[in-house]
Amino acid sequence: MIEQLSNPWIWGVAYGLPLITVLMTIGAFATWWERRFSARMQNRHGPRWVGPQGLFQVIADGLKMMQKEDIVPREADRPLYRLAPVLPVFLVLATAAVIPFSGYWDEAGRWQAALVVADLDIGVLWVLALAGLMVFPIWMAGWASNNKYTLLAGMRAVAQGVSYEIPLVMVALVPVVATGTMSLSGIIAWQAENGWLVYRLPFIGALSFALFFLASLAEANRIPFDIPEAESELVGGVIVEYIGLQGGMFLMAEYLHTAVAAALATALFLGGSHFWMLPLPLYLGPVVFAIKAGSLFVLIYWIRWSWYRFRADQLMELCWVVFVPASLVLVMLTALQVWYEGLV
Amino acid sequence: MNEILAKLATEFPGVFDAENPDPSGALVPADQHVAVAAFLKENGFTKYVTVVGSHYPASGDEGVAEYEVGTVLRNPTRNSFAFMWRVRIPMDGEVPTLCPLFAGADWQEREQFDLVGVRFGGHPDLRRLMLPEDWEGHPLHKDYAIETAHPPWR
Amino acid sequence: MEVRVPTRPNPHLDIDAYDADADLMALNMGPQHPSTHGVMRIKLFLDGEVIVKAVPYPGYLHRGVEKLCEKLTFVQIIPIVDKHDYVAPMTNEQAIAVAFERTLGIEVPRRARYLRTILAELTRIGSHLLWLGTFTLDIGGTIGGGASVMMYTFREREKILDCFENLTGSRFHYNTHTVGGNRHEIPDGWVDQVKAITALMKIRVPEYEELCTGNEIFNLRTQGVGVVDADLALELGLCGPNLRGSGVDHDLRRDQPFHAYDEIEVNVAVAQGGDCHARYQVRIAELYESIRIIESIIDKIPDGPLSSQRPVKSHLGVKIKTGCHYHSIETPRGELGTYIIGGGDNKSASPYRLKIRPPSLHSMSALPYLLVGHTVSDVVAILGSLDPIMGEVDR
Repeated sequence: MIEQLSNPWIWGVAYGLPLITVLMTIGAFATWWERRFSARMQNRHGPRWVGPQGLFQVIADGLKMMQKEDIVPREADRPLYRLAPVLPVFLVLATAAVIPFSGYWDEAGRWQAALVVADLDIGVLWVLALAGLMVFPIWMAGWASNNKYTLLAGMRAVAQGVSYEIPLVMVALVPVVATGTMSLSGIIAWQAENGWLVYRLPFIGALSFALFFLASLAEANRIPFDIPEAESELVGGVIVEYIGLQGGMFLMAEYLHTAVAAALATALFLGGSHFWMLPLPLYLGPVVFAIKAGSLFVLIYWIRWSWYRFRADQLMELCWVVFVPASLVLVMLTALQVWYEGLV
Repeated sequence: MNEILAKLATEFPGVFDAENPDPSGALVPADQHVAVAAFLKENGFTKYVTVVGSHYPASGDEGVAEYEVGTVLRNPTRNSFAFMWRVRIPMDGEVPTLCPLFAGADWQEREQFDLVGVRFGGHPDLRRLMLPEDWEGHPLHKDYAIETAHPPWR
Repeated sequence: MEVRVPTRPNPHLDIDAYDADADLMALNMGPQHPSTHGVMRIKLFLDGEVIVKAVPYPGYLHRGVEKLCEKLTFVQIIPIVDKHDYVAPMTNEQAIAVAFERTLGIEVPRRARYLRTILAELTRIGSHLLWLGTFTLDIGGTIGGGASVMMYTFREREKILDCFENLTGSRFHYNTHTVGGNRHEIPDGWVDQVKAITALMKIRVPEYEELCTGNEIFNLRTQGVGVVDADLALELGLCGPNLRGSGVDHDLRRDQPFHAYDEIEVNVAVAQGGDCHARYQVRIAELYESIRIIESIIDKIPDGPLSSQRPVKSHLGVKIKTGCHYHSIETPRGELGTYIIGGGDNKSASPYRLKIRPPSLHSMSALPYLLVGHTVSDVVAILGSLDPIMGEVDR
């Protein structure tokens, strides 16, 4: 059985399917959590009645969405309209395939990653490529809905997504340059042996972590960068013409994207499931990972419910005038640091 | 109040009476309407307050149905007060517009045209404001019944 | 004749002549929209995201009040006029009552005048709280930071509404003013309730300021956006915080006092700049000022009768004097005026013509000037900062 599990195809299905299930459940119940969290921030309650502590609210909402009538606007571009909701979820889940959720110290004192669907050598490249593709479904939805508001939102989303990819890619290179490997398990192993990147590199690490965090927020269209779904102006952005479960897929993709972005930030900068020298058993690794990624997730929603949103041109200005030069400088400084430490 | 009336009486004799001012506002002939407004604007009455049109149907056999348009301006200083004057025109006449002087006159005059029917000469865009574009009639006419049917709105 | 400043945008731009290739996009911020403060339609002509021409269409809430009032007497007019500026209902009634009292020369006893002042200032606090909530909602997002501020301000507004309910019996649309005074006497414990409100507001308003100006994004979204210079503001007839945000020092509470304002010192808040941030600062300053005014007079309400007239036996009791009369008061939105034309003899109980001069209509007429050159995101910020209430615009 173990030999069969080492076959990547079988392992992919045997581990990947439960992982997808877990991620989708997290995505769904994240809505419940967010509603309770934001409610407490706003001096009200949130869902409490449906089920214990309101947990069945998620199921109720899901059922409600599923039983809605499936309407496609008459002038809409049918193939694109149908395809658009499917892609974001697919892309985000694919991104999560390279994240190692656990790890252990083996006999030789090296950190070994575990619980990863596909331990690619080019893990970072895989993640960034898929993140770049995320722009397409949003634009497709905006165009195919045959609605001026969604068109505006789609255009804004494309501009924002494409622009913020650049600092994202640059800053994601900082761990790659510092650790010398592109595979996520390799990066985590390096961090386990040499210290988490967020403090290991003198203030470069913290800055790049913050920049990565913000650029991920921008990619995921979260406040303060959520101009594409600006409720007050564009009444819901690209998903305005989508009904029922199709629209639900977009919303689910949003939550998943933030969860996966938080997971990536922990893997790249916070050491993944590493918990210093404590030799944790394999099953506690995901718990540590969940705590780290979870706190970032909480931070994302905390920001969402406290801050306002940037205007579209201010957003662009922030990216090109602040983020891109900063990310370039950070990569160069990391390279200098590595060279200096190589000398010393 | 007395000083501005004195100034107006000198500038527009025969229209404004400084000793016995008309409490409802002096009746200004339509051709001097803009001149009065410009004079007041130069003398401190820079805030445009409102314009009000009313319909006076013909009374008696020889009476003519008229519109009376009251304009109100205010001076935004300490001891501020509102100064008003009136213009009477027959129903097919026009009151010259105050749009070049006051930007706010644009919408106020459109509203009075819409509801009362007063036409303003020289207005850049005199069309209905409150009511739909294809509404017929002017509701604030005295002979417009309040229950007038107008499908599909009522 | 004054020379029009050449940099003022032309609201009557002929789009067909301006854009012969029809490259501009006409976007309708239609009657159903989360941010148009009621039902209003703005037709925007966009060049990319920049607005070239904006045409607002009010009138969706037009209820024909002016025609209706020609058949109604004063007692019947007050509840109708209540429904105009439904966010600050006390001041609507006060405007009509003041207009009638000044026309007929009726004197209001001091007790009623002080009570009316307190009610007006409480209404001002409630209205500005609601404005702050919806303004941050527009800037920040219905699902997002703005909603948090809205929840907080509405929580405080509820206390003010409870206070009004204690006095008059209803949270909105009170029908508590008559010609010559007020109808509802102050119950026991009401003064303490008001004091509790002002004490609470003194803690909360700095918190709101922190949440707004303390947030750099808010400043970015509101500074430099929607600039009205003082001349344009005066010409348009803007009033209230919109005018004072452009640097014009004019407040009817001080310049043409009504109620008890001739006995109270009012510090008028004026901001330079004319942008959304300036208007926001003026309203916050007015919040502080209202708290101060209430605190200074809440213990000094004089005793005496609450109305100088006997209660009217029939609704035809109040007659209107012949001639045209115009009187106005300062509401949270600006100058709310009433132009009444009395009937032929002095015996008519219904006005021949009643026109309400709504401050929000003038704010809306500023939109074609203000929106040109900004993007769609700025529309909601500008609209929010001008604070129009459609019930008042359309009547």
